[in-house]
Amino acid sequence: MVDSRLHGIVRYNFYKRIKNESNSSQPFMSSIAIIRSQIESRLPGALSPYIAPEPEMIATGIQILDRKTGGIPKSGLTQVCAPAGVSSGRTTLLLSVMERVTSREEFCALVDASDSFDPASAEAAGVDMSRLLWARCKGNRGMRPLEQAFRAADIILQNGGFGLMAVDLGNIEERLVRKVPLSTWFRFARVVEKMPAALVFLLSHSAAQSCAALTLHVAARQASWQGLDHVSHAHFLSRVECEIEIGRARLRKPMQSAGDRFTATSVWA
Amino acid sequence: MLFGCLYVPDFPVQAALRGSLRSFLSDAVAVLDGPESLLKVVACNEMARVAGVAIGMTKLQAESCGEVLCEKRVAEQEKSAQTALLEFGYRFSPRLESTAPGAVIIDLTGSSWVLGTAREIGEKMLHQATPAGFVVNVGIAANADAALHAARGIQGLAVIAPGEEAAALGRLPLEVLQPPQEILETLAQWGIRNFKSLAALPEIPLTERLGQQGLHLQRLAKGETQRELHPVEAPLLFCESMELEEPVDLLEPLGFILNRLLEQVMFRMRERSLATDHVRLDLTLQVHTDRQLGADSPAGTVTSEYQRTLKLAVPSQDAKVLLKLLQLDLSAHPPEAPIKKIMVEAFPARLRSVQAGLFQPLAPEPAKLEITLARLRDVVGAEDREGRSRIGFARTLDSHRPDSFEVLPAGFAAGPKDKNTCRLALRMFRPVLPARVEMLAGRPATIAFQSMRAKVERAAGPWRASGAWWDAGGEWQRDEWDLYLNFDGSIALYRVFQDLRTRQWFVEGMYD
Repeated sequence: MVDSRLHGIVRYNFYKRIKNESNSSQPFMSSIAIIRSQIESRLPGALSPYIAPEPEMIATGIQILDRKTGGIPKSGLTQVCAPAGVSSGRTTLLLSVMERVTSREEFCALVDASDSFDPASAEAAGVDMSRLLWARCKGNRGMRPLEQAFRAADIILQNGGFGLMAVDLGNIEERLVRKVPLSTWFRFARVVEKMPAALVFLLSHSAAQSCAALTLHVAARQASWQGLDHVSHAHFLSRVECEIEIGRARLRKPMQSAGDRFTATSVWA
Repeated sequence: MLFGCLYVPDFPVQAALRGSLRSFLSDAVAVLDGPESLLKVVACNEMARVAGVAIGMTKLQAESCGEVLCEKRVAEQEKSAQTALLEFGYRFSPRLESTAPGAVIIDLTGSSWVLGTAREIGEKMLHQATPAGFVVNVGIAANADAALHAARGIQGLAVIAPGEEAAALGRLPLEVLQPPQEILETLAQWGIRNFKSLAALPEIPLTERLGQQGLHLQRLAKGETQRELHPVEAPLLFCESMELEEPVDLLEPLGFILNRLLEQVMFRMRERSLATDHVRLDLTLQVHTDRQLGADSPAGTVTSEYQRTLKLAVPSQDAKVLLKLLQLDLSAHPPEAPIKKIMVEAFPARLRSVQAGLFQPLAPEPAKLEITLARLRDVVGAEDREGRSRIGFARTLDSHRPDSFEVLPAGFAAGPKDKNTCRLALRMFRPVLPARVEMLAGRPATIAFQSMRAKVERAAGPWRASGAWWDAGGEWQRDEWDLYLNFDGSIALYRVFQDLRTRQWFVEGMYD
């Protein structure tokens, strides 16, 4: 009803103005201001732009990232990108966020497209496993894992009640993920916009593009070893230095996209 | 003493109509019983009687009386209706007697303090019976038999004051007493047709002619008998069933029937402040004798029973949630033949009460989560090769075997956690990837797997592990290595192992 009223006012004033324009030399822009003032006098706030509230952020536990972005945004889509088949630190980053969320007694959901989640690693990272719902794809042979993952994510989003929803597509081939239409990412971004939850995708490339509120690129840069170098069984992987690059951050601009590093320590180190 | 009686007129008809869309008061219904070839009317309601249906008619005769719905008598339905009537009676007193099918006598002594006067109690019984699925007559009197006869003979509510039983019951026909046919005929020959006439007969000549039975009937007619109730406790059995005339072979119409049965079961549970976390669905399938169900059935045998069990993490009273879960379960595991009979049984559990708080963190709603888990199971499958669930909350097992965990349907009580930040995580390959490893000086030098080949830059290991030697099928032995590979300048850290029994190499996971 408001739309039709607005339409009526605009149309009436427009034709009236056009009629007057032919008789006067006032610039056309002034007529827009008049229309605007008339609409606002009748329907206050009708033309005011909607300013979305500042979203809540979830700390990641990685200092450099928390300092730069404030963490992972709630009510937004975050993509963590790293090439498949190489170590990058993206799973470590996800577990760190999960640890933070579950320590706040909130629930997490993980849709694991390639069934690659390791509960022992999560437990070692301090994740409260009783608050982590894990959906392992690949079980239904009639459906591809990617399709399963998106449908499972959809169901979990509909359920609500989770502080963090993560979809791990890290091992899915890039060519398959590229086939996912942009409208799908857009729909996920719009759905999560209304929810007090963060939606995180682990991807091999930046597939969600502008639909993502935060895009992170991670890569392992250096592995450190300890023990005796010449005795292989007395030689341990102790830590991995990972580089993190902020590809896109819609919430905090301008964002410096420098390669900052964080360290992932092995369980036995 | 004060007794109330709940009497369900035409009980077999009302039992057959419980939960259905048909109305006892406005639809003509006849209940038939007997062998399939000769079904006869055993009960009918007032509308059917008006239409011309009478007890003893054949099915064909009953159907020819106009729009009369003919239902087959099902013993389980009547049994569950009687249980439901008893459960309804528990609203008013804990002392009940299941006097006859469709008749329950309630000891209301002392109830007036809580429920009001006798008339107020009677009105409550009348009004609350309709939502419970019954149209009842209520009789209230100072003795149990008078209350029973008042309910049987007087429509609606009858409240009899103490000492006025004979006068109140006087006009009732003798059939209300349900005497033996022989005595009824004798009394009819004497011209005795109602309670008042029977009560007026002299006691000694009546006893001489009809014996003690005749005297007892006279005392019943006067409303003078005093007896103890035989209290029963309704069993905690929440079971409803339905036998179908025509078998159902689609899941959609089955949903309507399941809804009706679940609504009845959950209504009864709510009456007793109980919930359920375990629902069993028994389906009787109509299978042709030339068909064999299930690939593993031995030849020549036919299975006609199909059972599904639903276990909930949190007890629920919501019939809609249970219906959705059963529908999802049946769509994932559909029966292989049309369904002839449906039985739903819910096992009682205490309702979990949780104190809500303003500052409580976000959590999924338990009932909704059950449905979500069922829907997810439908998408990703129920179990993996090792028999572990594909949906749920993972718990690591107390074992040295790598990748040993279980997946539970509900969150469990977890112990305190250490705040460990940025622990290097492992991404698993399930199943493990076969690999070819070339050794040099006792260390892996190159590795090839999944059409990739790389030189090992650095290797740490081997770390030997073994277990389950006591289990012939589950024994494992392995040498584990951590490998550092270089893929075009990118670091790749893999965990590989060699199965010492087969000497085969596998890639287990990648540090990420």
